[in-house]
Amino acid sequence: MAHPVQLGLQDATSPVMEELITFHDQALMAMFLISFLILYALSSTLTTKLTNTNITDAQEMETIWTILPAVILILIALPSLRILYMTDEINNPSFTIKSIGHQWYWTYEYTDYGGLIFNSYMLPPLFLNPGDLRLLEVDNRVVLPIEAPVRMMITSQDVLHSWTIPTLGLKTDAVPGRLNQTVFTATRPGVYYGQCSEICGANHSFMPIVAELIPLKIFEMGPVFTL
Amino acid sequence: MLHQIIGQAKKHPSLIPLLVFIGAGGTGAGLYLLRLALFNPDVSWDGKNHPDPWNKLGPDDQYKFYSMNVDHSKLKNEGPDF
Repeated sequence: MAHPVQLGLQDATSPVMEELITFHDQALMAMFLISFLILYALSSTLTTKLTNTNITDAQEMETIWTILPAVILILIALPSLRILYMTDEINNPSFTIKSIGHQWYWTYEYTDYGGLIFNSYMLPPLFLNPGDLRLLEVDNRVVLPIEAPVRMMITSQDVLHSWTIPTLGLKTDAVPGRLNQTVFTATRPGVYYGQCSEICGANHSFMPIVAELIPLKIFEMGPVFTL
Repeated sequence: MLHQIIGQAKKHPSLIPLLVFIGAGGTGAGLYLLRLALFNPDVSWDGKNHPDPWNKLGPDDQYKFYSMNVDHSKLKNEGPDF
């Protein structure tokens, strides 16, 4: 989850998110450089004593400020497209879980090996334990293994929702009547939070997603985490 | 039209990079659109003879423009044939 007054992205828990953070840093640096250049040009234009009121054209300057932005944009677009195609790759997931959005909770179905289906409601503030996060904790977390590709099939039973976990780089819309797929591989264990990301009614802000990522060996021991 | 463009470019040579980039971008977008129209398995031009082209993909078909990690020619079909 984000710490208070956090401005940047959360730390990555999957290789795709690491790529996204690196790309974000590169694009942000390009933006800062361009903005600083413009600020410098603006301030020097406003404070210079050299003026000429008879300038009609400036061919060399125009050539430069056409080519340079085009090159910068290409240098930003190529990594962006590379990551875009990378996020869409399905690399043989070992495990499939269904996530179904309702108003206003999630249902998770583990049907690969036997059937385990449960609902995940937000914990109301009155039910929180000391140390819990307000509006982020749920009663039943999605328990998933690390270091194994996991496929999430996401849909909705009523209106649009969106299943999000920022630290894994996941955001997939839950569309009624449609099955969306997303795949991720987590690199470290922990508890990771996300919130529904598509407006879905009165309690849209109160249906969070909590993923508890545990080592694969413990996960394979079976659903010891049942209700 | 081409004459006009060449005439303008001679008078204002600083416009040549603009024409190059806009031309390349527009051509690229048009070609990609053509590729989508002809090769995308979601598109079916002939509904009677070739319905459901998305059902006729093999596991080693790469329908995306660029594949970074997955080598599509090496994949095998794991499900049953139907």
